Amino acid sequence: MKLKEIIEKLSLVTLTNVEDKEVSGVFISDMLSDVMSSAETGNIWLTVQTHKNVVSAANLIDIAAVIVTNGKEVPEGTVELANRFHVNILSSPLSSFQLASKLVEAGLK
Amino acid sequence: MKEETCSHTWEMVNVQSGYIVTENCFRCNKTATSFSAGEWPPMEEYREGEHFWNIMEVAQTIRFDLTCKACGKLVPLNELAGLMMCTGCDPKCPVDTLMKEMEKSRIWVFVAFGFFPVDERTQLSQEKIAILEEYFNQRRKSSSSTIRIVSSEKIDDISRCFAEMIRDVGMLSLTPPATE
Amino acid sequence: MQEDRNHSIEIAKIKEALQADIITGNSQTGQYVTGIYASDLMSDVLAYGKSGSILITGLNSVQAAISAYMAEFKGIVFIRSKIPDQDIRKFAEEKGLFILTTDTDMYETCVKIASIEGEVSVSTAAAALTKRAENVTTYSFSIDGQDFASAGMVSTQIKTILKSIGYNPLIIRRVAISTYEAEMNVVMHAKRAKVTLKASDQEIYIIIADEGKGIADIELAMQEGYSTATEEQRAMGFGAGMGLPNIRRNSDKMNIESKVNEGTTIETMFFVK
Ligand SMILES: [Zn+2]
Ligand SMILES: [Zn+2]
Repeated sequence: MKLKEIIEKLSLVTLTNVEDKEVSGVFISDMLSDVMSSAETGNIWLTVQTHKNVVSAANLIDIAAVIVTNGKEVPEGTVELANRFHVNILSSPLSSFQLASKLVEAGLK
Repeated sequence: MKEETCSHTWEMVNVQSGYIVTENCFRCNKTATSFSAGEWPPMEEYREGEHFWNIMEVAQTIRFDLTCKACGKLVPLNELAGLMMCTGCDPKCPVDTLMKEMEKSRIWVFVAFGFFPVDERTQLSQEKIAILEEYFNQRRKSSSSTIRIVSSEKIDDISRCFAEMIRDVGMLSLTPPATE
Repeated sequence: MQEDRNHSIEIAKIKEALQADIITGNSQTGQYVTGIYASDLMSDVLAYGKSGSILITGLNSVQAAISAYMAEFKGIVFIRSKIPDQDIRKFAEEKGLFILTTDTDMYETCVKIASIEGEVSVSTAAAALTKRAENVTTYSFSIDGQDFASAGMVSTQIKTILKSIGYNPLIIRRVAISTYEAEMNVVMHAKRAKVTLKASDQEIYIIIADEGKGIADIELAMQEGYSTATEEQRAMGFGAGMGLPNIRRNSDKMNIESKVNEGTTIETMFFVK
């Protein structure tokens, strides 16, 4: 499934320029070390973390998009860095738990 | 399969969560980093030879090794303290120059750090850095970009580098972090 | 953050949906949780978590239990086979928190809990998640033959790992003894060996595959006191027996295969419960 399809279906807010990518599944964690050990390339990553280092971890694995949950505000520095490295950052007012149901209903494993 | 002729398909093994501890010696002002598995590391200062180490920061992290699924070759990565993505804070730094060069072809530059003090701890060999790079590129093979991992030796002046290693700070804190 | 609607889910239903193990709070399974919060960031749990909720987290630290208690949660689900240590159990017992552990990751855990109340249909959840791999932690080590100076290193490492995961000391002791015996056999009789440890919340599985002269008569080698150690090795205090009976005694399942002049593979299994 394509990222742009998911953004539309779930009315996600885009915080960066969006580069469409193939989405392979969902990964939820607030720990960068978890992403480094267990996330897969093409995963959508749900987190409440918003610091710059989120971009580094997303980039290392090539995450399809980071969705910042709980409607958390993302610092400008993070958005800037994400744009430079083509990391898609999206936002949702829902919690990670609430959004998980919507993503699975959309057909993501 | 024979190790010598194998083209290696790497897999992350021996993943252990723990803490990366940053200490400072008040006598010589050197910085030391170390990995502590499992439990929260002891916070008291201690003496090691010439040094008197004091804990400055504790962050959560993982350590791991790599093994080849085909031939079984095991690459222990005990010398790896962490990975950092260059964020281009020092235009005079050779890593920054490399980054700008590579960016055009969608290659992202990461820096592999060994433990500090560099002159007192065994550092990651070039061979191991190359294997680490190969592992991540194999894992992100469906991607349109690749990564390049270089040694932290390449950083011109570490004091001018503001990028952070990929690790988890403040996970256990019960007070929310101040936003930027 | 958008307010979550009110939930009412029986703890026993959560345990069943996740096929989770209950670590503390056995008597609470008939109670209900009224919210679900999935996070590893404890300051957020305190800021946004609603009382009566259940916390889903991968943060295996007593801080998780403290946060859950302070936010007036009913309990915690530890994901990805993270087994809480003594400190967490003690704290949870004292404060009346229930603790479950599951081998699923955070996404799967959320989806399965959501399917209890029909927020996600059980079939959607199952269909979407069937392809996800089971979560087992794998570790690899190598042992060199004749390296008496490092003999026992691998079993010591395994012991440390199992401790940090938080297994019961009794099972760790059994694993350590049988792995030590097998490791000594490799040091004394083989060229080298690869050791694989697979640890899950169900079982601990160890494979030791060596390259060496192999065992001609496994039945004989399984007898108490049988040894092929050299005089020199015996003088160093090694090799009173091949240790195979001791490996069998300490493991729940043991399988041994050997080819003369090629090597021996010993598999041992230890059931967590
Ligand atoms: Zn290989
Ligand atoms: Zn010093």
